[in-house]
Amino acid sequence: MKKHTITALLLTVVVAAVCVYSGNLFLSLRADDVIIPSKDLTEVRMLSDYLPKLKGTRGDTAIYIFKGEEEGGKALVLGGTHPNEPSSYTSAVILVENAKVTVGTLYVIPQAARSAFTHNDSQEASPLYVHFENSKGEVRKFRYGSRAVNPIDQWPDPDVYEHASSGQLLSGSETRNLNRAYPGREDGNLTEQVAFAITEMIKKENIGLTFDLHEASPEYPVINATVAHEKSMDFAAFGLFELDMYGIDMALEPSPVNLHGLTHRELGDYTDTYPLLMETANASQGRLRGATNEKLALDGKDKFYVSAGELGMLYVPYDENGHPIEERVGRHLQGVLSYTAAYNDFSGTPIVIENVPMYEEMIAAKVGDYLN
Amino acid sequence: MLTPITIVYLVILACVLALVVWNLFTEKKFTNQITAAMVTIPLILRLLLIK
Repeated sequence: MKKHTITALLLTVVVAAVCVYSGNLFLSLRADDVIIPSKDLTEVRMLSDYLPKLKGTRGDTAIYIFKGEEEGGKALVLGGTHPNEPSSYTSAVILVENAKVTVGTLYVIPQAARSAFTHNDSQEASPLYVHFENSKGEVRKFRYGSRAVNPIDQWPDPDVYEHASSGQLLSGSETRNLNRAYPGREDGNLTEQVAFAITEMIKKENIGLTFDLHEASPEYPVINATVAHEKSMDFAAFGLFELDMYGIDMALEPSPVNLHGLTHRELGDYTDTYPLLMETANASQGRLRGATNEKLALDGKDKFYVSAGELGMLYVPYDENGHPIEERVGRHLQGVLSYTAAYNDFSGTPIVIENVPMYEEMIAAKVGDYLN
Repeated sequence: MLTPITIVYLVILACVLALVVWNLFTEKKFTNQITAAMVTIPLILRLLLIK
């Protein structure tokens, strides 16, 4: 056998080994995270119940429903719209694993863009998972995914993404961004179908209050903020007072009327729900970050962001303490509780959620303490 | 379900992969063989719809 044939065979073995290793790594991200619901969970539905063609696709995702003994209002919490924003889905998972609803109904979708959990953004060096140790000493693992739906599930991207109902033009990759697809299309691409199913669910279930949980990079202007549709502004302002009493500095931003596809705009325009979108500070998705790893995603400590803060380049205070996941999750959960309380006074159709950690409790504990 | 454009993409991908593998086995220079081997990895993962 010639020498170059032997080297080619050896390289083929190496290629096979690399493909098996990396292939298994990529495929492992398709396994769903384990969520252990609270004993007070009433029902689990699937998003495909509202759009049957999603059944069997990675657009289908679980909806956890907590129904109180007393009739009341209905609220929806969307986590994991962008799976590279860990406080979003972690907050939703804590709700699912702890909540008890005594009045009204709470719907929680922890992984709204389920397909986007099955891959990372390329060239971002993102961690594959974040881990939390619960009070029993067990390690709970959740995927750190991508901002966009997996191109394996939706391909190809157009050069320019045209938002269906408004005609708004955006970069082609935004065609896989769930929070640019609302109100969605029944016969659209997978992202649009997911958005359509969520919109349908809100209409059919007559959900009055919708939260969409997000994170943003510290240099992004809309941060530590709540973005509200104009019809949500009145009660959101009251919620803001309560958040201030808990020591949470939160800005209230109006939803731009000419920025389409987002929950805080389209769900307000196309349904009767009152939408609110909340943002916390996540250094691991920022452009100024140093080493990108699980530690950064969880503790938010980054010397480059400290320097950027000293130079006045950020929209959020930043020091050596970073912005740990407990603070970010605490902000989201307290936001859900306080805005819901304000909505109850405003609407007269109350939703009472109990057993969810408040901001003070969350920052004094670890996320794992509230995982089953 | 594979869309027609995905099927066309996979056929083109398979042809490119076959050419690169052919190059890997006919190339006499070792560094060029390594290059060909590296190129096959993403092509294989794409062909199998893993990445």
